[in-house]
Amino acid sequence: MLEPIIQNNVVCHALEAMIFASIACSILGVIISRMNLSSIGFTMSHAAFAGAAVGMFLGGNPQISAIAFSMAVAALIGPISDKAKMAADATLAVLFAMSMAVAIFLISYMEYMGHGLSASSLLFGDVISLYREEIYALAAVCILTIIFILVFYKEITALMFNMKIAEAAGIRVKLVYYVLLFIIALSVALSLNIVGGLLIFVLLVTPASIAGQFCFNVKSMFLVAPLAALLVSAFGVWAGFEYTLPVAPLVALLLTGVFALSVVLSFKRRINTKMH
Amino acid sequence: MSVINLEGIYTAYEGGEKAVIRDLSLLVDRGEYVIIGGPNSAGKTTLLESINGLIKITHGKATVCGLDLSAQADEVRKKVGYVIQNFYFDPFTPFTVEQVVMMGRFGRLGLMNRPTKGDRRAVQKAIHLAGIEDLAHKTIGTCSGGQQQKAMIAHNLAKEPEVMMLDEPFSNLDFSAREYLQEVFKELARTGVPILMVAHAFDGLPDIPIRLVVMNGGRIAHDLNCNAGEVESIVRKECGALDKDKTERRINAGADHTE
Repeated sequence: MLEPIIQNNVVCHALEAMIFASIACSILGVIISRMNLSSIGFTMSHAAFAGAAVGMFLGGNPQISAIAFSMAVAALIGPISDKAKMAADATLAVLFAMSMAVAIFLISYMEYMGHGLSASSLLFGDVISLYREEIYALAAVCILTIIFILVFYKEITALMFNMKIAEAAGIRVKLVYYVLLFIIALSVALSLNIVGGLLIFVLLVTPASIAGQFCFNVKSMFLVAPLAALLVSAFGVWAGFEYTLPVAPLVALLLTGVFALSVVLSFKRRINTKMH
Repeated sequence: MSVINLEGIYTAYEGGEKAVIRDLSLLVDRGEYVIIGGPNSAGKTTLLESINGLIKITHGKATVCGLDLSAQADEVRKKVGYVIQNFYFDPFTPFTVEQVVMMGRFGRLGLMNRPTKGDRRAVQKAIHLAGIEDLAHKTIGTCSGGQQQKAMIAHNLAKEPEVMMLDEPFSNLDFSAREYLQEVFKELARTGVPILMVAHAFDGLPDIPIRLVVMNGGRIAHDLNCNAGEVESIVRKECGALDKDKTERRINAGADHTE
């Protein structure tokens, strides 16, 4: 898609993938952070990491198993909390620990068996060896996320306001919520190859947190978060290739730096502090 | 036919083993003004949430607005206004009061449909009725507790509900706001919409026939008709009697322990 502008295929693919992943994840991140679903997003992203490790270990498609794992974890949170009579947060912590244990166990085992290189890409991402199909899949999930927001905009905003009030208002909360979880699982699983299981959460949460420092309404948050993610990711890819630095951790660090700066510069926070 | 028809219902919270509402029957007709009183954990909020389909009824039969609650809870919620108890919106909540009031219409609108001029008119009317025109463009998180409460009442008025349920709706409001909103609900009842209100304070009740339901232990302990001036003394008496029974049982149990 960007080949006419960027001659180097590797850089071009990396940039395209990073742009699509950062747009999809940051848009979903706005919903996740407003709905206090950060722990769910966190656990799902690590479940995708474990799923990919299982897929790789079994010789199947790591992305399909990553989607299946993160969906399974999302579906298990409620029933486990009910059966074990414990808070959802504790359930998430257990599932997160389980996901990490499965992933690290299998990655270590694969390294021992001589498959170390492909396994470590799950941990830290691998932007230089992406297939065309992976970029198309990311573009598709990015478009799907945007369509989801446009089609269900009023339902999503009501959920972001308050889930119980939305349900009492007669909105089909569960339907929208499960579609949301499915799209998060899809985005996380497909972005895993780029930023890796340990950093994927940065793409979900940090751009939304940056937008939250400046935006007074949801519409602007849905615009500012992907814009910030896109600019930082594009700069990160360029800087990574220009100065031979690892791209994914660099993007994560840059996003965190921009967030810190936005906290310092936030006029919204100052206005709110004055009002209270 | 009654608007609300509950026959021997039992409800329990998800994951909970014990039924919170037990063998409860209640008929509510058009235009009735029902005050629900009773001690803490009597099941008052659970009753409202059961009628709204937010909590599943495990046994018994229930119809609301002619719809079977166990099969059509989603449809019931579109017709029932419910002002919930205890909400808090943080200062960073990115929605204005007007947007929040509009959300009250979303259920009726259905998936994917955009608000029309008619919806916007209903929102303006609800904002006017709740007396919050000056707050319409203010972010809800920066409003005071009382203002947020009025916004939530407007959110439910905008729905143009066939049943209006309110769970301690006046806890943050001053006396004049209470009196004014009670008049609004009185008018709503006059148009045929039954009002079900859980309350602990009974000042400012409208001067119309009131049906008082006193709950205890997940059941209806008393169901009687009275006027506004009598509500407080009756609830005080009934709750006092209930508490007295409880106190006696507790003292007796304590005595058994010491023996």
